[in-house]
Amino acid sequence: MKKLFVIGLDCAEPSLVYERWNDDLPNLRRLMEEGGYGRMRSTIPPITVPAWATMVSGKDPGELGFYGFRNRKDYTYDKLFVVNSLNFKAKAIWDYLEERNMKSIALGVPPSYPPKRINGIMISGFLTPSAKSEYAYPAYIKRELEEKFGEYIFDVRNFRIDDKENLLKQLYEMSEQRFEIVKWLMKEKNWDFFMFVDMGIDRLHHGFWKFFDPQHPKYIPGNPLENSGLEYYKFIDRKIGELLANLSDNTSIIVVSDHGAKRMEGGICINEWLIREGYLKLKCKPQGIVRLEECEIDWKNTMAWASGGYYARVFLNVKGREPEGVISPGDYEKIRDELKEKIESITDDKGNKIETRVYKPEEVYREINNIPPDLIVLFGDLYWRSVGSIGFNSIWTHENDTGPDDANHAQHGIFIYRGELDLKGDLGEIKIEDIKDIMLKHF
Amino acid sequence: MDRVTIKIPKKLYEQIKELIKDTGFSSVTDFIVYVLRDIVASGKLREETGIPKEEIEAIRKRLKMLGYLD
Repeated sequence: MKKLFVIGLDCAEPSLVYERWNDDLPNLRRLMEEGGYGRMRSTIPPITVPAWATMVSGKDPGELGFYGFRNRKDYTYDKLFVVNSLNFKAKAIWDYLEERNMKSIALGVPPSYPPKRINGIMISGFLTPSAKSEYAYPAYIKRELEEKFGEYIFDVRNFRIDDKENLLKQLYEMSEQRFEIVKWLMKEKNWDFFMFVDMGIDRLHHGFWKFFDPQHPKYIPGNPLENSGLEYYKFIDRKIGELLANLSDNTSIIVVSDHGAKRMEGGICINEWLIREGYLKLKCKPQGIVRLEECEIDWKNTMAWASGGYYARVFLNVKGREPEGVISPGDYEKIRDELKEKIESITDDKGNKIETRVYKPEEVYREINNIPPDLIVLFGDLYWRSVGSIGFNSIWTHENDTGPDDANHAQHGIFIYRGELDLKGDLGEIKIEDIKDIMLKHF
Repeated sequence: MDRVTIKIPKKLYEQIKELIKDTGFSSVTDFIVYVLRDIVASGKLREETGIPKEEIEAIRKRLKMLGYLD
């Protein structure tokens, strides 16, 4: 019986795995040499939840109807929903396999809370509220895991701490447990298809990138955490080696990430910019740095507002669509084009051009479901993040106001394959939407 | 009544046998048929329940801490 085993490393970066640290990662290197590898082109935006969902379903974010972690519920100003597994209605690889009477184990593949009833086992991912939640299907798996491995670690408990040694310790603990659980499940349970995602590398990048990337603006040569990145990748490689040792020869293997990572130069305060350009008007005067939601907006004089994160979503205030819309539908395209052009020409704080890309959803997705942002903005080729808060008195910030900002996501992730398909050597670029079919070809 | 044979792990069989001791079930088969009928009758193996508000709030907080939201 043929099997497929998929190792998901959230955020694993091709330039580190394929080049910089390749010699130090013997197991990944061996898979690359014996099989093939490519640069996996992620979704727009390259963000964890839509990306993994696209990978396992073959549907893009527009078809899935979710565009990021948070999505508009309706056209009001404040109703947003955070994606969970119930919003993920498309057929995933395990649903296709169920039709062929094949068993799957899916562990930590977002969005997977609450866990779905599949033909096999599903354990939910990092968006599980807590270890007390019912995170496994069938439910008794939770009890089995707790008896053997203690409380399940879904994510690092406290990410925004200055105590980096402590954070690093948490990362090792989480991944160690995750790989041990996988090792146990792969031996003890029946499966034809096994896929799991470990979040450790993503958290490492966001928390430690500046310590190991000499090009990062905050890099200090010889800092005590300079080897933190390499050591962690080596640890993950060792753990992968342990899994490989437990797989039979007729098992094909994929190692994949949902997107890559790169150094973060800083943040662009998109709402500050919209205010300066006259698109957004506030009723309040922010005292210090506050979230836009905390400030009253003068909707009758506002054409656009935005939210931040690793990329920006810009929303237009359209007459007949939003409650206090001002842009007449006939002007919608004109204003959207004007905004796109202006946002693309925002420079860095020194006046240098940066490669900002602004996308209209209907141009990047095959279909549009639910409510997409009017514009999707990836600042400065993703070397810049988007900051939605206001009160900076500047369009640019290098401060860590909302979260760890050492690294941003990059458009390409890794894809390594060793198995029965004819995928050998340098595979060039692989689209994330095509991975589901590659997986399905094994059965 | 037409019947088919279904195989279950021996250990599970023994556990069920133990479980139904001194209950109304006369055999493991009886018990299994009863439980399965119950599930089939409810007809909603695939129905998912929503997530409670406090869980959604916990998820939102986590996302903010991680820097996904601002």
